[in-house]
Amino acid sequence: MEGICKSFPGVKALDGAKLTVKAGTVHALMGENGAGKSTLMKCLFGVYEKDAGRILLDGREVSFKNSREALDGGVAMVHQELNQALKLSVGDNLWLGRFPSVGRFVPLTSEKKIRRLTEELFDELGIKIKADTKMSELSVSKRQMVEIAKAVSYGAKIVVFDEPTSSLTAEEAEKLFEIIEMLKRRGCGIIYISHKMAEILRISDEVTVMRDGKHIATRAASELSTDEIIKLMVGRELGGRFPKKRRQPSGAKLEIKSLSGIGGVPKDVSFTLKEGEILGVAGLDGSGRTELLETIFGLSGRASGEIILDGKAVSNRTPRESIRSGFALLTEERRANGIFGILDIKENTTVSSLKKYSRRFLLNESGMRRDTEESIRKMRVKTPSQKTKIRALSGGNQQKVILGRWLLTEPEILLLDEPTRGIDVGAKYEIYELLEELRAAGKSIIAVSSEMEELFGISDRILVMSGGRAAGILETASADQEKIMALAAKYV
Amino acid sequence: MKRFLALILSLVLILGVGGTFSSCGCMEDGEVSVFYYTYSDAYISSVRGEMDKFLSAAGVNFHNYDGGSNQATQTEQVDTAITKGSRLLIVNVVDTGSDDAAKTIVSKAKAAGIPVIFFNRSVSDAVLSSYDKCVFVGTDYEEAGRLQGELIGKHLSSAYSSFDINGDGKISYVMFKGQQGNLEAEARTKYAVEEANKILTAAGKQKLSFYDKANSSGYLVDQDGNWSNAAANNYMKTILSGYSEAGGNMVELVIANNDEMALGALAALEEAGYNKSGKRYIPVFGIDATEAAKSKIASGAMTGTVKQDAAGMAKTISQIASNFLAGKGALDGISSELAASERRVNIPYSVYKKGE
Amino acid sequence: MEDKKKDNGVPSERLMNDGIFVKIKNRLSEKGASVKRKYGDFMAKPPHDKRSMLAEFLLNNAMYILIIGAIIAIAAMRPRFLSPASLINIISLTAAKLPIALGIGGAIVLTGTDISAGRAVGLTACIAASLLQMPNYLNKMFPELPPIPIPLVILAVMAVGALIGAVNGFFVARFKLHPFIVTLSTQLILFGVILLYLQIGDNGGQTLSGLDDSYLSFVTAPLFTVFGIAVPMYVLYSVIITAIMWVIWNKTAFGKNMFAVGANEEAARVSGVNVFRTIVLVFMLAGIMYGITGFIEGARIASIASYTGQNYESDAIAACVIGGVSFVGGTGKIGGIVIGVLLLQIIFVGLNFLSVDQNMLYIIKGLIILLACALDMRKYVAKR
Repeated sequence: MEGICKSFPGVKALDGAKLTVKAGTVHALMGENGAGKSTLMKCLFGVYEKDAGRILLDGREVSFKNSREALDGGVAMVHQELNQALKLSVGDNLWLGRFPSVGRFVPLTSEKKIRRLTEELFDELGIKIKADTKMSELSVSKRQMVEIAKAVSYGAKIVVFDEPTSSLTAEEAEKLFEIIEMLKRRGCGIIYISHKMAEILRISDEVTVMRDGKHIATRAASELSTDEIIKLMVGRELGGRFPKKRRQPSGAKLEIKSLSGIGGVPKDVSFTLKEGEILGVAGLDGSGRTELLETIFGLSGRASGEIILDGKAVSNRTPRESIRSGFALLTEERRANGIFGILDIKENTTVSSLKKYSRRFLLNESGMRRDTEESIRKMRVKTPSQKTKIRALSGGNQQKVILGRWLLTEPEILLLDEPTRGIDVGAKYEIYELLEELRAAGKSIIAVSSEMEELFGISDRILVMSGGRAAGILETASADQEKIMALAAKYV
Repeated sequence: MKRFLALILSLVLILGVGGTFSSCGCMEDGEVSVFYYTYSDAYISSVRGEMDKFLSAAGVNFHNYDGGSNQATQTEQVDTAITKGSRLLIVNVVDTGSDDAAKTIVSKAKAAGIPVIFFNRSVSDAVLSSYDKCVFVGTDYEEAGRLQGELIGKHLSSAYSSFDINGDGKISYVMFKGQQGNLEAEARTKYAVEEANKILTAAGKQKLSFYDKANSSGYLVDQDGNWSNAAANNYMKTILSGYSEAGGNMVELVIANNDEMALGALAALEEAGYNKSGKRYIPVFGIDATEAAKSKIASGAMTGTVKQDAAGMAKTISQIASNFLAGKGALDGISSELAASERRVNIPYSVYKKGE
Repeated sequence: MEDKKKDNGVPSERLMNDGIFVKIKNRLSEKGASVKRKYGDFMAKPPHDKRSMLAEFLLNNAMYILIIGAIIAIAAMRPRFLSPASLINIISLTAAKLPIALGIGGAIVLTGTDISAGRAVGLTACIAASLLQMPNYLNKMFPELPPIPIPLVILAVMAVGALIGAVNGFFVARFKLHPFIVTLSTQLILFGVILLYLQIGDNGGQTLSGLDDSYLSFVTAPLFTVFGIAVPMYVLYSVIITAIMWVIWNKTAFGKNMFAVGANEEAARVSGVNVFRTIVLVFMLAGIMYGITGFIEGARIASIASYTGQNYESDAIAACVIGGVSFVGGTGKIGGIVIGVLLLQIIFVGLNFLSVDQNMLYIIKGLIILLACALDMRKYVAKR
């Protein structure tokens, strides 16, 4: 791809971007959110029409009109947000749009062939999923595997991975890397988009960095270090990856006593959270980390157990009760249950604290505007105004708005589920700094994360979940990756 | 984007076409506004067809309105027509259950100083006499029911035992009423049975008996008030699932307030294997003499109907309209046999059987 | 300017007027500045962008542009279309149809709908009419009934409407049923209730009429007259109701919660919004609007039958969609609904003025709704 330009009304999203991928290599595409990575890929797939530039595949100029044409042309993509028919089976999803028919002159879909073809494909790739499982019953990582298998089945020459590991556990990521390795051996060129430095450096052969829609550099991965990449991406030096701890945790703040959820997850979990502490929560996908937070917050039903805040038991049966008793939950699925996409920033900020602004029937508009302004400033949200619709912001800024929403409720305990998922490096650092400020102000935080580095970087202690149970709590200072993995496998 | 432009274009086109069609030679204000209670009524549609012919022939600039069986809609249409500068209202009023709807229309016409011709759906004398430029063209609303009853009575007594399927000496019947609270429906329901009973009694037979003893009202009504084929068809199918010859309780006579409902019931009978050549015939009676009913009568599937003269009604109305527009006396040129009073013109009914 | 006249007024009142005046002035200059800025931005754009921005603008406002064009065209062919009598006719029609649309608008903001609205209007109209018949009317439904004060009747029909809404809302919120199914069911139930209600006493399913003059004049008496043409009282009521609804939608916690639930129900739950209560209240508020519509409709038509109110919801839903209340949920403005209802009436009356064939009228109506929805969805699907 060379000299690609694309403008939207008011924005020049791509300005002479270029990217060259060699067969049989992994090429990492890096850049902050808004750098133009996704736009570039959308131009490749014909989702957007490029204004200028050429795309060459095996030396021939190509111009795909839609992703279907791209697939047929040998270019496939594994999306960050998976677009799958969740109510259909794995086999149906794989062969959607090109179902094998019973016979040449019998235009009926053959279930048998679907199953056989799927099994053959999965055997080849070493994937252990049954062809007739419903997609919705699979974990996110397994769905992704299906998506990769689909790309392979089209005989793709170029496979694009957009943040493939953001929803995978370490173990599943390993599996993914194996598959990528295998694709490489088959002679596929791989474009790999990710924010995780460690894996980029590990699996990629070449790295291209973009900034503001422009091509910044293409280097061999072996010549680069994490800090160098960040420098290229941000265009300046960052002080460090994680801010300094400004305060030591003090006395006990929250006590969870043998908490069990209605669905059996979490199961008999107990721990204590100190004032001004950040407790990291590690574990494999499906180990009950999210459920733990949701049960504490009353979003999932609690079967038994006690939640004791400042020595007093709190009920926390519904989110509203939890908010009243001083809890806040930043959910994992920002788009599904975090933001109100079509509402503006003010509405997104104040939705949890409307009571505060109610005078009899009416709302105090000026108070709401003032607090939103304050929140935008404190959270360093980059937005033209508070009337901007939140969906127009980048992921990192959306996350800051939601964090601001919760801080308006003046919580004592913050429950954060993957607080930096899908957020670029610069914004991540800002969020870490915000957490550090909150800790300094005496708030206690429970943070679930799949990124080991993040857990080590921000938490005081790490709670490891395994099979819905608490496998153990480690002091971060004395913890290492092996210890965590060992605990994570304890009840599997 | 092209698709949206196409959509917009198509809309503009339709607006434009609608506009040009109607603007032909009628740029000056002063249409004659004709309001039909609904376009969905088969008989009223035949009146509309005739009326369009007569009014066009008379060179009158007219516009039709569909009330959609809703008095509120019709009243609003009257408002719009008057603000538009209508010269004459011809109204087939929706709501005949009380005087208020007609009264409202009369008062609006009075305020605008334009004449009103009500037709088909009856309006009380009190309303008619409240405004000197107000006339009703309709029928003697009791006459249709009486004629239908007479027809039924004569038909049954001609071969009584052949109609009494279970031989209990009584003819069991079903009656389909078009609308609750409609004067004409009430009268037809009442007099059809009364007149038939009179003739049967005179011939020494038993009175008709309603097929369902539990139903004291003696009729099944179209709950939507549409006098519709579908309503009667649904009722009849339900009846046939519970009443049969084998059970000795078969319905032996079908009476309907109009032909639409008669045909609906007939379709259900035919589906169940009745009223076809070689099969048993259940007598079916309607009112209106629509084309569909006439052909069924010709084939023998339906027994008889009462003819309401659509063309005659349309002709009379257009005559009165022309009189009003020319400033002549309202009923000038109308045969005195038809004029029941100086405000009321009745178009006579006639019986319609096979061979007519 | 305004405070000069009030020189003899209480000083605090003057201050307040000043405050409001300054506020309005600031708002206006803000608006003006933003328009100027936007214009500046626009002029600074390269010609290619300019063209696409213009196309964007035209498409996003296509509905309004089309209708303004239609008004001009109709007025050119039929000047009477813009006569005072005709304008007042359009305004009155709009006022009569506004409350029900305002009610349904809330349900649509929640990504739902309410097809029981028309029957709810029918039932409340029956109740209002039966309670307010002339004392000496022969066919009176409740012959023994003493005259009831009108405000009491209004409260009664509002309560009945609220009850209907509460049932709708309860089933939607508690069992997560789609509002279409819930209100389809209540629509049928309500029709049955209407038929039964009309058979009370000696009424036997007949049309209810013979309404008391105090009721008729309360609703239809002239509010004032312009060029000798009376504007009926219910226009005033409609204006008041619209103002109240505007405050509820924009200035109360309930209103904000409604938009939050419509925009993202799950996020609302996590954010501590009482989703159940919000949904029930939205439907109850809608029910109250139907009650008020029923009350007005009773006197406006003056004869109430079982079909009264039938299909009213379809025009109301169409008006909401034309006015930008999207089925996507979480968006919509009271002003938009008012414009939607007004535009729909302008179209219907206008087409009648053009003497467009009635058969075509239905087709055009359908096309307009389709077009409005398509243009609306265009704003939400990804731009390419």
